[in-house]
Amino acid sequence: MVSAKRPSRADYYRVLADNLPKDALVVTCLGNASYLWSAMHHMPENFYFEDAMGLALPLALGLAVAQPTRPVFVVEGDGALMMHMGSLVTIGAVAPKNLTVLLIQNGLHAASGGQPLTNASLDLAQLARAAGIPRAENVATPEAFASALGTAPAGDGARFLVLSTEPDIEVVKPPIAFDPVMTKQRFMTGLNVPRYIPTLFGGGHLEQKT
Amino acid sequence: MVTSGEQSATAHRPSEILETLKRLGFGVAIAVPDSWLGEVLVRVERDTDIKLIRATHEEEALAIACGARLGGVRTAMFVQNAGLLSMGAGMVSLAQRYQFPLLMLVSYRGAIDDPVFYHVPKGRVTEPVLKGIGLAHAVADRHRAIGPQVEAAATYAEEASCPFALLLSREDIQW
Repeated sequence: MVSAKRPSRADYYRVLADNLPKDALVVTCLGNASYLWSAMHHMPENFYFEDAMGLALPLALGLAVAQPTRPVFVVEGDGALMMHMGSLVTIGAVAPKNLTVLLIQNGLHAASGGQPLTNASLDLAQLARAAGIPRAENVATPEAFASALGTAPAGDGARFLVLSTEPDIEVVKPPIAFDPVMTKQRFMTGLNVPRYIPTLFGGGHLEQKT
Repeated sequence: MVTSGEQSATAHRPSEILETLKRLGFGVAIAVPDSWLGEVLVRVERDTDIKLIRATHEEEALAIACGARLGGVRTAMFVQNAGLLSMGAGMVSLAQRYQFPLLMLVSYRGAIDDPVFYHVPKGRVTEPVLKGIGLAHAVADRHRAIGPQVEAAATYAEEASCPFALLLSREDIQW
């Protein structure tokens, strides 16, 4: 829930960078979720959104299903979640244990200049639990976030941490160009996923590079 | 095993579609309900080679499919053409912008052989909308075997690095 005095996105990101498992994959939604993360912790295992608001959660779900042995973290905003709230239900139904949702609750649409949310005061952890994600909790400090990352509660399915966050309206300048195809290719190469072998070379199928 | 080009135009076409997906190594399918798709999705769900994810909305389904393909798994979608109309923003700003190869198997409601009158408005605009958003697509030919058409659509998606929608009639997809 949104609390009176809130940490910044950078406060939480420092904790995330310090506690991220070595084999983690990170999906970040549009705006400073991507720009700041790239400035603080640019890695091939990051998949950056710049647009497609509301679709980071479902993309991360598909990634978690395809890579069940890798921990997948996704940073999504409260406004974006409201655009595709149904994805909570799908995550609850699929229940991938390797997926951790980090929900930035800053109470407004920061990426579009700070416009108000339809409802800024929802208990999003309760909403996630109602949608079938029992391991959902509200987090209000970086210390509590570090503690939550260090101790997985009992139970199956995805984790859902709602981070009460101070809004950051000013756009962070990313250190790299966000070419979408480069982002995808760099990520897939880093993962060493099977490559598509074209029919011209006797393929027409995916093949694992050894 | 069914191999490319061996299917008969008179065989059970939904079975051919499923067999073709398995032969091509599809590992994930994302679906949003349509009455023509109901039974084939039950068959996919029973299959141990393909994991079925039932999404709540077609744009969400599209993003799940992008994520699964990003993770290295060949991915198909089963949706109605209404879903193509409602997923436009995600199509251009995610799937096409990042060039995700996805096979979209689409029940083509509101076409001439669909007896349900309220689908007509969707059928009338489907192909113009697909042209408008630049989504590669084809209408399946009911006089040719369906398996090779699915394979061609899947190959197009991969070799052109883009989503491809194959529009299917009731005979193609209703079990």
